[in-house]
Amino acid sequence: MVLFVGFILVLFATYLAWLIYAAIKFPLPFVYNLRSLWGRKSSTLTTASAISLVVAIFIVVLSLAQGISKAFVTSGLPNQALVMRPSSRFELNSSITRDQARIIKSNPLVAKDNMNPIASAEVIVIKLFNKSDGVGSNITVRGMEVTGRSMRPQVKLVSGRWFQPGLSEVTVPVKMQLRFPELVVGRSFKMGGRQWDIVGTYDAAGSSFDSEIWSDVNDVMQAFKRETYSTVLVRLRSEDDLGSFTLQMEEEKRLKLEAVPERSYFKELTKAGDPIRIIGNLITVILSIGAMFSAMNTMYASVASRTKEIGTLRALGYRRREILASFQWEAIALCVLGGLGGSLLSFLADGIQTGTTSFDTFSDISFAFTITPRLLAQGLFFSVGMGILGGLLPAWRASNIPLTEAMKA
Amino acid sequence: MKFLHLVWKSLMRSKRRTFLILCTLILSVFLITILQSLLATLDAVSNKPTEGNRFVVRHKSGLTQFLPISYGEYLRQQPEVLAVANSQWFGGYYQDPKNFFANFANDETTMFQVFSDRISGLTEAEIKEYQRDRKGCIVGQILADKYGWKVGDTIPLTGTIFPMSPQLTIRGIFKGRMASEENTLYFHYKLLEEGVQFMKGKTGAFWIKTKTSDDIPRVANRIDTHFANSPVETMSEAENAFYLTFVKMLGNIGAIIHGVTIAVLIAITIVTVGTMSMAIKERTTEIAVLRAMGFSRARVLFLLMAEGLLLVTLGGALGIGLASLVAKILREILGSALIFLQDFRLANETILLCMGMALIIGFISTIIPALAATRRSIVEGLRAL
Repeated sequence: MVLFVGFILVLFATYLAWLIYAAIKFPLPFVYNLRSLWGRKSSTLTTASAISLVVAIFIVVLSLAQGISKAFVTSGLPNQALVMRPSSRFELNSSITRDQARIIKSNPLVAKDNMNPIASAEVIVIKLFNKSDGVGSNITVRGMEVTGRSMRPQVKLVSGRWFQPGLSEVTVPVKMQLRFPELVVGRSFKMGGRQWDIVGTYDAAGSSFDSEIWSDVNDVMQAFKRETYSTVLVRLRSEDDLGSFTLQMEEEKRLKLEAVPERSYFKELTKAGDPIRIIGNLITVILSIGAMFSAMNTMYASVASRTKEIGTLRALGYRRREILASFQWEAIALCVLGGLGGSLLSFLADGIQTGTTSFDTFSDISFAFTITPRLLAQGLFFSVGMGILGGLLPAWRASNIPLTEAMKA
Repeated sequence: MKFLHLVWKSLMRSKRRTFLILCTLILSVFLITILQSLLATLDAVSNKPTEGNRFVVRHKSGLTQFLPISYGEYLRQQPEVLAVANSQWFGGYYQDPKNFFANFANDETTMFQVFSDRISGLTEAEIKEYQRDRKGCIVGQILADKYGWKVGDTIPLTGTIFPMSPQLTIRGIFKGRMASEENTLYFHYKLLEEGVQFMKGKTGAFWIKTKTSDDIPRVANRIDTHFANSPVETMSEAENAFYLTFVKMLGNIGAIIHGVTIAVLIAITIVTVGTMSMAIKERTTEIAVLRAMGFSRARVLFLLMAEGLLLVTLGGALGIGLASLVAKILREILGSALIFLQDFRLANETILLCMGMALIIGFISTIIPALAATRRSIVEGLRAL
């Protein structure tokens, strides 16, 4: 599969390189074709606007998929591992006793900071909050030790202060405030039979921590009458120790636990975006084929109405392949015009904050549509591809009109 | 009707153009049909008219918290209540995590009363046998066919949420009304309680059947009030409302689907307008000749409109046909990503809606160039020769 895609890409690149060469060597037909786009304003505009809608959808769908993956991929550090109950798969399902947590923290492979292990025993619970449309959604509440905060360096305090242990306080992500109107600094809410004060907001730079509420581990455990932690997050002295640490967690008789590199744990979670991704890909594939047909139609019409002009070009001495290249350029220019329009359109969705719920953890994942330069480039690349594929057959036809017939017309 | 041949001939005047625009139309209608069916399927999950007299009681703080089984006593005492079944989503898989299907630990006796509409086709003897065997299970027909299971087979189920992997013996294969109902496995609640220490005396939810659907708001309210301010508060909701929370979890899929649908509709309208004006402009002379032969303006307009509508009817019908062909494959793919989409199908209403949209597009895109063409005077049209 990869080989096949690679082959297609090489083919594309070679063809494009030849097209560029042809345009530089023989600028006249090239300029003529671009001008004829301008000359046929209404049909150019029609096709380009249809293509721009397709390219806009393509970019928005990509940004959606990217937003979901970004939430997870940027969440973990390479030298950290998550210790969980075997085959629990998600933090929420895991449970670790206080004794086990003590043993894990005293493992010699765990990094130390002033003689204290850099590790955080944490508890995960789920709490239902109302979204701005009045519908409830589950949010992950993470109770952590103070070290837990510094183990996630991407998370920065934005306003207020961090929660203090023992005071039933929480700090909430800024990005969630738009979607959950209850989460205002200074207000409080009821959870597990206690009142919790919201004392500050943080920003987790698009990672999955932007979808959680943070508090102190002991406060949360007491409120929910829990005896066990969910997981223990540890920082290892080096990334190379991951393997032996995993082995020790598994083999130690008192533990029999599973250690997962933090990075791979979050990678697994990206599956939550699968339904949206599948639907998105379906939409883009079908739409781009449809748009290609439409571009093809326009190009055929444009070739048909210019038989005489093509004949003139041929009579001037331009060869078939130069005609092919110049009509191919016309198709590409048409699609790129659409691509540019689509890029502009896609900015309408930029910055919209939305969310979905993981069916594995039953909790909310916030993410934003972000139109990045990379996505725009992908959109443009996509439109060039449409131009090449959609223009190939009409350009071929243009280059194959017999000279005598062309002059007759 | 007698002009059908003429209309067909003018459509076939440029075969390539007609073919290309037809392909665009087919693909667009196909996409819209699939998307709208997706939305309709999700809507149907939380909109089942037949599930009237059933409701769910669960922990107020969320799906992952458990209720004490002892709450069942109080629920059973309510005069409107016919049967109460405790139920827990087990979330296990068969052999490979990819073999994902719904599996529940349910009360082995009351479930047959509470879910009498979802489970059918089991003989008295099979039900007895299942209830007798603590390690027994019953599976839906589709599931049994998929993995080739027969009554008497022993199947391993690997737990993901619970640290437990039971070996279950199939005691019966039941039928359901929908694919999702038959893609389900049920086993004894007591097996879960015995196998998982922290589940002893706990359950995820109670499913309750009442005498009539009118009873539900009253009973639900009474139950929630009764347990209010206790350490474990309850949330009671009708079956449809319960499923709605799952559909809502997907986020605003409705907005995405409607957004794409509108964008696609605009795009194909633009493209079809372009094509039809091209087709009509080409025939300026022909139209003038027809008029000179005595065809009235209205008749020429009718002929042109018929041409455009024939085109979109063909495109619409083929697009919907294509969608129904791939519906089964899509059901497999989407169903494995999201359990509700196992019931993915093209509803008649959706088909009508999409066909209607195609016709509207055909109408709009033909009427603009057709009106312009018929307004032109005969002399002017003939001069174009």
